[in-house]
Formats: sequence, structure tokens, C-alpha cells
Amino acid sequence: MRTKIIFTFLLINFYSYVASNETINENKIYKNLRCLVCQGQSISDSNSDFAVTLKLVVNDLIEKGKSEEEIYNFLSDKYGDWILYKPKFNLENLALWFLPYFVLFLGGLIILYIIRKKVKKT
Amino acid sequence: MLSNIGNILLLSNVLIGALIIYYSFNCLKTSNNLVFKNIYQLSLIQSTLILSCFFTLVAAFLVSDFSLINVYQNSHSLKPVFYKISGTWGNHEGSLLLWVIILTVFSFLFLVLNKNHPKNYRLHTLIIQNLLILGFLFFILFNSNPFSIINPVPKEGLGLNPILQDPALAIHPPLLYVGFVGSSIYFSAAMASMVSNYNDRSFAKSIKGWVLISWVFQTLGIMVGSIWAYYELGWGGFWFWDPVENASLLPWFAMTALLHSLLVLEKRNALYFWTIILCLLTFTLSVTGTFLVRSGILNSVHTFANDPSRGIYILVFLSIMIITSVYFLFTRYKPETNHISGNSKETFVLINNWFMMFYLITVLLGTLYPIFTDVLFKSKISVGPPFYNSVIAPVVVFFLVFMAIGPQTKWIKNKFTNLKQLSIILGGALLTNFTIIFLFKSYSVISNLIIISSLFLIFSSFMDLFKKTKLNFARIISHLSFGFLIFFIGLNHNFTIEKDFNLKLGEEKVIDNYKFVLNDLELINQINYKAIIGKLRVKNMNTNEERTLKPEIRIYDNPQTLTYEASIKTNFFKDHYLTMSNIDRSEYYNVKFQEKPLMIWIWISVVMLSLGGFVSLFKNAKNN
Repeated sequence: MRTKIIFTFLLINFYSYVASNETINENKIYKNLRCLVCQGQSISDSNSDFAVTLKLVVNDLIEKGKSEEEIYNFLSDKYGDWILYKPKFNLENLALWFLPYFVLFLGGLIILYIIRKKVKKT
Repeated sequence: MLSNIGNILLLSNVLIGALIIYYSFNCLKTSNNLVFKNIYQLSLIQSTLILSCFFTLVAAFLVSDFSLINVYQNSHSLKPVFYKISGTWGNHEGSLLLWVIILTVFSFLFLVLNKNHPKNYRLHTLIIQNLLILGFLFFILFNSNPFSIINPVPKEGLGLNPILQDPALAIHPPLLYVGFVGSSIYFSAAMASMVSNYNDRSFAKSIKGWVLISWVFQTLGIMVGSIWAYYELGWGGFWFWDPVENASLLPWFAMTALLHSLLVLEKRNALYFWTIILCLLTFTLSVTGTFLVRSGILNSVHTFANDPSRGIYILVFLSIMIITSVYFLFTRYKPETNHISGNSKETFVLINNWFMMFYLITVLLGTLYPIFTDVLFKSKISVGPPFYNSVIAPVVVFFLVFMAIGPQTKWIKNKFTNLKQLSIILGGALLTNFTIIFLFKSYSVISNLIIISSLFLIFSSFMDLFKKTKLNFARIISHLSFGFLIFFIGLNHNFTIEKDFNLKLGEEKVIDNYKFVLNDLELINQINYKAIIGKLRVKNMNTNEERTLKPEIRIYDNPQTLTYEASIKTNFFKDHYLTMSNIDRSEYYNVKFQEKPLMIWIWISVVMLSLGGFVSLFKNAKNN
């Protein structure tokens, strides 16, 4: 019974998510773009002319029906990868994206090894 | 005049440091377990002198002695007294002096407070700590001397950067320094422990208090810095994954891991070498952070005026530290003999350490990676909040669950008898999450999972309060408040409302259910700045709640800078956050309005988190 209740709640929790996540969120895009004339701010946080103009460009691209991915590609072609706060998933950045999880995996193995070794001895 | 006093005090500190090392080696040769009386005396004099040295610099700032380059560059005779004082450590040279103070005072206190531990171990700690002190003193003397003079003497100083003229900013460096410079003492103690073969649970006891102190201060320091960023930088966020913030977070991860593995060493006499590695790692990361910030390698909001020669000095110092640490680790390593069973509290402590290392590597990699790509591929990349959020958030979910289960387990060998209770808690967490979605709006899968797992941790920590066994308040408070911290961050992140628009005087604007009116603009003159204060009325048309917010645009005189001061109205449910900025060649003002739910609870959670550390510290002091 209890498992059923928990399972039902799980389902409700996830359906409500799926229902709401269709639209493209311009604020999310602003937050991922570095304001190139500021010190460590995204264009969402800045009032500089650059940020204001770039927001207009992004809105324009969204209106033209471009996807998030396409907008990022367009802007990084123009300004370089420096503008993206979330680095692209490519060969250069492979270590950046995978090393943390590799360390996580390795750490797990080490813990398993420590536990196993000790059990065998006893 | 003050310059001479300062320099003499610095030089006498070098001499005393050398004397302490000399007498300590002599004392090591004697066979009894007594430390020479003159070592205590020298150590006390050393602390007194370095404090006098610091007060000399404070005095120079107070009387605006512009014959000192440091005062000339960072102060101004018209600055309020409080900021003259805080200006002392608000710059590279002065803050290094604060470094040495903490190194020295901790060295003295460690010597005095650990009388029940063997002489060899204490003296070795003292020697290594004094080597660190000498290293930093030489750095100050030869490269970054706050007492350097300028000729001819300027009539007026250049002033302190206005965004640094702020109470939270003024106190956060000292707090953080007690945290990460304080970790030097267990770096020295760990080395001494390997050298003098003092490697059992009493070693853990001797450093536990110091780890707790540094952890508590580091936690508070990070929080105060983050509060400052929240209201001063005007972005409405409180954590930006800025390289300097990361630099303070890295030692915090290592300290937190150490705090937990120390328990295993203390209770079970296991994980000795791992604990040593964490001791060494914490201080190494602190110095690494300092190197990254001071050398100007990284682009950050906290840039001091940079100078590559500083970077090289710290880099050499850091390399010597790392090489010696690694050498001792390799030569003294002995395999562990104690058994760790898979299902035991020991394993859960290891799991804590495992996740801490993951966070540490992620943040370290994210901070350094732009340097690698720049050197290797000649390409400049940015690593910002979206990266950290997407890599770390999914892992936090599992972390929180382990954090809830871990404390339920027993040392040596555990049996899970309370599966029923855990599933009830999980059900409760899911139900609460569903209620939140139902009442407000839904959010992403990860956010859902974060909220559920943080509730899981909160509920199970609460349940612990009603257990019949002896309560570990320190642990319950810290784990509970960490659960709350993530819970409130999660809600804040998901339910923040942002509005961005332009407005002119007298104009009214309606966006969704908010009505904004710019009623008035007022010009005021303060000692060190002029300001335009806007009076903006914000009305929530659903609840009929009305507030007047007063954002400022400030024009500081020395040096001339424009800053935007956010107006923040806080209550227990939400913060209203509003900044206003002028638009060139226009009578319009750009207004950014945010409604941030439960903001104050984030700070309260962190204060509670460090309170857990304090409780543990008192318990530890009572037991010893």
C-alpha cells in the first residue's frame, strides 16, 4: 500500500513537470550569455548598452523561431565561446564535462575496494 | 616614522621566528617531555609584535599618513573612520599582514592549548608553522611591503574603491582568513604527526577543535561575502561561481570532508593517511586560492591591483609546500590495518568524503579550465553558473539522501532496522513537494528531485530529535540546516520573479499583477558621495500589498565612480529587490525588480549550519 502511494506521488510529481516545460525561456538564455564589457556578469544582470542590445538580438532570434542551441551557435560564431557561460560540449571541453563524473565513478570504486578488502580479511 | 616602526617590527618577527625554530630543535634533543620556557615566551612575544605591527599600519591609515604607498593608494583623508580601518586589510599588502597574524596567533595558541600531547609532536608543529610564517614574512618584506614609502609625500590619497566601502565587506576578509589561514595549523600538525609518528586517535583529538574553528569561520565568512554580493553588486543573486568565491569554497569542501573523516580516526582509529591528506589539502587549496586571486591569472570581480611577481613568489612557495607534503606522504605511508565493514558509519563518512571530493574537483576544474584552454588551444571559454548547476545539481540529490541515512547507522557494523521509518519520510517528502507544485507552479525534474531529497534530509533530521538514544545536537543542527539551506535555495531559485523595464519620473507601469510608479527623484549629498534616490511604489494587485522602494544611483568622489545601490525590503516570506540605473541621453531609468521568496531563510540556514560547528566545538572543549 505504502509503495503504491509513494509511486502515485512520484508519477504526479513528474507529469506536472512535463506539462509545463514546453516554452523557450529567454531569461535562461540571458543568464547563459556573458556581458562582454562587464566584470563577470551575465547580460541578464547587466544594464550596459551591450547587454541591452544583445537581449534585443536574442528576442529577435527567438521570434524567428530559432532554438536555444541555434541562438548559442549564432552568438558564439560572432563573439567567440567566451560569451557562453555554459561551455559547449566539444572535444576541447571534454575533460571539463567528464572529469568530475569520472572522479565520482573512481571514488565509488575506491570505496567499494576498501570495503571488499576489509571483508575478505575478517 | 610609522614606516620605520613597521619595518623594524617585521624584521624582529623574522628574527623571533628563526629563534623559535632554533630553540625548538635544541629542545627536541633533550630527553624529558618538557618544552623550554623561552619557547613559550618567544611565541607570546611573536604574537604581540605582529599585532603591534598590524596596529602600526592601522594607525597609518587612521592619521592618513600618505608617505606610505599603501595608505596613499587605498585611503583618503575624508573617508569615514570605519573604512579607514577596514582599508587596512582591503588591499593586497595589508591583507598579507592579516595572514601572518593568524598564522602566528594560531601557532601560539596551539602550543599553549595542547600541553597534554607529546613534546615532539608539538615542537614539530611549531617548527613547520614558523617556517610558514617566515615564508610569508619574506614575501611581505621583499615583495609586498605595506610600509614602503613614497617620495615626495602626496597631499591626498587615491581613495578606497566605493563598492568596498561597506560593512559586510569590511568584516568578511577577517572571518575568511580565520577560516582558511587557520587551516595552516593542522597542515603543520599533520606534517608533525608524520615526522614524529604521532598517528593515532589522540592526534585527531589534538586538531579537532582547530578544524572546527576554521570550518565555522570559513562558513560564516563565505556567507557574509555572499550577503555583500547580494545587496552590493545589484544582480539580485547571492552566488555567482566567481573564481574568488570558488577559491573560498574549495578549502571549505576539504574542511568539511576532514571534519567527517576525523570522526573515524577519533572513534575507530582508521583512515589516518586519508585524514592527513585532507589536512594538507585544505591549506594547500587555501594558498592555491590566494595564488589565483593575487596573481591576476583569473578574471574576477575581486581583482586587487595585480603584479606577476607576486604570483611567482606564491607559486614557488606553493610548490615547495606540495613537494614536501607529497614526499612525507610517500616516505611515511603505511597501509591501514583497521577493518571497515560495508554497512557501517565509517562507510557513510567515506561517502561524505567521496561527494566532497567530487564537488571539489568540479569547482577546481571549472575555475582552472579556462586557463588550460587558453594555453593549449588558444581559445577563451567561460565557465559560469549554468555549468556548475547542471553538473552538481543531480549529484546533490544523492548526497542529501546519503546525508539523511548516514547518521542513522552505527559504528563498526550496522543493521538497517528502520526501513519503514525511512519510507514514511520519503512519502512525506514527496507529498510536500506535490503540495508545493500544486500551490505555486511546477519546475524542472532536477529541481523536483532536489526539493524532495532536501525534505527527506530535513524530516529525517527532525525525527532524530525524538530518538531515545543520546542526541548528537551538533550533527543534527548542522545536517538539518544544510537540508534547509538546499531546500530554500531550491525554492528561491524556482520561484523568483523578475521584471525589467524603463520608467521616467511620474510614469506608471503595469506588468502582470504588479503596478510600478516612479513618484520622486531626490538628490542628496553625503561626505564621500552624491546620490540620486528614486522613490518607486510597487503594488501587487492580487494581494493589494504596497511598498515604496528607494534605489540609489551614487556618484563617489574619491575615486570617481558610479554605483547602483539596490533597495531591498525583507520579510520572513520574501525579499523585494530593486535597482535603478540611468540611461544615457534619456529621461528614462532602467528598473530591475525581483521578488525573491524565502531569501532571509537562506542566511538563517547558514548561520544555523555554523552554529552546529560551535556546539561541537564547545562539546569538544568540555571533553578535553
